[in-house]
Amino acid sequence: MTVAAVETKDLVKVFERGRRTIWQRIRREPDKRDRFRAVDGIDLVVEPGEIFGLLGPNGAGKTTTMKMLATLLIPTSGTIRVLGIDPLTRPREVRARLGAMLSGERSLYWKLTGRENLEYFAALYHVPPGETKARIANVLAAVKLADRADDYVERYSTGMRQRLALARALLPNPPLVVLDEPTVGLDPQASRDLRDRVRELKAQGRTVLLTTHYMEEADQLCDRVAIIDHGRIVALDTPAALKRTIRAEEVVHLEIALDGDERPVIDRLARSATVARSERSNGTLAVTAHCASARDFVPAAFDAARSTGATIRHVEVVPVTLEDVFLAVTGRALRE
Amino acid sequence: MSLLAADIRAFFAAARKELRQQRRYPTLFLGLLFWPVLLPASWVLMGHAYSGNDPQALAAFAERAGSTNVAGFVFVGYAMYMWLSSLLWGSGTALRQEQVRGSLEAVFVTPASRLVPLFGPGVATLIPMAATFVVMGVALWVLFGVVPPLGAVLQAAVVVILGVPALYAIGTLFAATVLRFGEVAPIVQLIRGMFVLACGITFPVAMLPGWAQVWAWLMPPTYIVEDLRRVLLQGAGLAEVAPHVAIVLTIAMLTALLAIAVFRFLETSARRSGMLSRF
Ligand SMILES: Nc1ncnc2c1ncn2[C@@H]1O[C@H](COP(=O)(O)OP(=O)(O)OP(=O)(O)O)[C@@H](O)[C@H]1O
Ligand SMILES: [Mg+2]
Repeated sequence: MTVAAVETKDLVKVFERGRRTIWQRIRREPDKRDRFRAVDGIDLVVEPGEIFGLLGPNGAGKTTTMKMLATLLIPTSGTIRVLGIDPLTRPREVRARLGAMLSGERSLYWKLTGRENLEYFAALYHVPPGETKARIANVLAAVKLADRADDYVERYSTGMRQRLALARALLPNPPLVVLDEPTVGLDPQASRDLRDRVRELKAQGRTVLLTTHYMEEADQLCDRVAIIDHGRIVALDTPAALKRTIRAEEVVHLEIALDGDERPVIDRLARSATVARSERSNGTLAVTAHCASARDFVPAAFDAARSTGATIRHVEVVPVTLEDVFLAVTGRALRE
Repeated sequence: MSLLAADIRAFFAAARKELRQQRRYPTLFLGLLFWPVLLPASWVLMGHAYSGNDPQALAAFAERAGSTNVAGFVFVGYAMYMWLSSLLWGSGTALRQEQVRGSLEAVFVTPASRLVPLFGPGVATLIPMAATFVVMGVALWVLFGVVPPLGAVLQAAVVVILGVPALYAIGTLFAATVLRFGEVAPIVQLIRGMFVLACGITFPVAMLPGWAQVWAWLMPPTYIVEDLRRVLLQGAGLAEVAPHVAIVLTIAMLTALLAIAVFRFLETSARRSGMLSRF
């Protein structure tokens, strides 16, 4: 039986929100900070060799989950096994086997060169002195940074720093790599480049667990995706299977101009499609509808608008994305 | 390779990294040359102004300070002050910078012992400190014509080296609290002020009220500064200061253990509260 790369059971992390002033402390007033669950019962099994994505909006609890796996946070309750090891009781063993890229470019020493950064971290990762040079050359090549290794990090672009942070995570030659928003802040070209690097990690037989709030990234890169919201997993499957749950082939975005109540239009639209989202701002109603065929639905939508005195200003037909899955399970858009 | 050997290597890598970063700001070293000369020199001149080099006044000073050499006395005191200040700031500031920059978490996800980021950066303060001592010695000679015999200087070097663990431990104790309080600058200021007052930096400990002297003799810098003066200015040998050195090393060990315990405790509590990533 193979050991799961990551396994969590009912993982919970409670944080305190708000603050307690010194005055309140001195007077020993009751602690009124509310405690909230940043991670609220997450069950995960990441299989060896897969790229697993945690997809969710800001504040969903992705980073908190990653930090618990990487031994930076102690869970409030629940259990974790990383490569079969409990990070609570044997944190050093977990750290030695885990490549973690958490806060990306901020976590580097900008006044040092890329190579100097790696030399320091190689020592921290306990790479044997005889292997250090080769190991550094290896990870630099893996992120295609060998030619800039002797430049100061402060002169790198954001994408290069992100890649250096990835190189650092690879120093211990880890079977499991966790990446927190690896492409955040990168331009499309640099993002694509970094995603290629991640695919190579998988090709080398490593397991990758990453977080993202870009649905395209989750869709293209991940073998399986867990959609997470408010600290809970709301859906988990392969991107294709997740999209199939929508039970629609196409998604239609409508922009409707209207004066009165929007309910009649929405009711009419709902007869021929699933209205996943509708948002009114002044005289405009934005609707996202899931349907089997846009060719059938769009004419019906025009009829519906006309019969209720509204005008359709804009129609856009797009394929189903993970965004729609998120919308379907949470009722909110990912990007809000 | 055993875990300990690997951690020792990591420790030196941390010191090296800190020195490399320091080197990239060469102007920092200017301060190293400037203050160690200017501040004590002004105190010496003040002392001369008070005494008018009157033999009676000097005898009174010698009675309390153990030597008539005002310049030597003040320079040794200030050397201690510079040393204290750089270690009190050094370790804490290094840790604090890591925290603010965001590199502390990257260090904490590695299997290296937590003592590496705690103790490593302090090493980088030792080389600049040695340079400061040399500069002060030269200034003492050039400005005030004070030249202790070579033997005394070598013995003083031994006292300094044996004093390193104590000051290091004190600096580290403060560094440890960074994990909890973030900004420790005000506390360091306060403590440094206390050391200046209590440890005989610019005036003999004998001038303090009795109760304050009791406290003074609990602080390692008091011993070290006293021993340096005895060796450099009064011709004492190492054997005579050995009991003090033993006391200093003991306090050093206790302080270091306390620092480690505090750091361990705060690290765990930070991992619980999420304080590691806040500052
Ligand atoms: N150290 C901390 N102390 C207190 N609250 C925290 C801490 N870290 C995170 N939180 C809170 O926990 C919740 C989840 O945060 P987390 O960083 O895990 O979200 P995320 O999914 O990574 O979001 P993002 O996409 O913005 O990175 C947020 O409400 C955040 O305010
Ligand atoms: Mg995050």
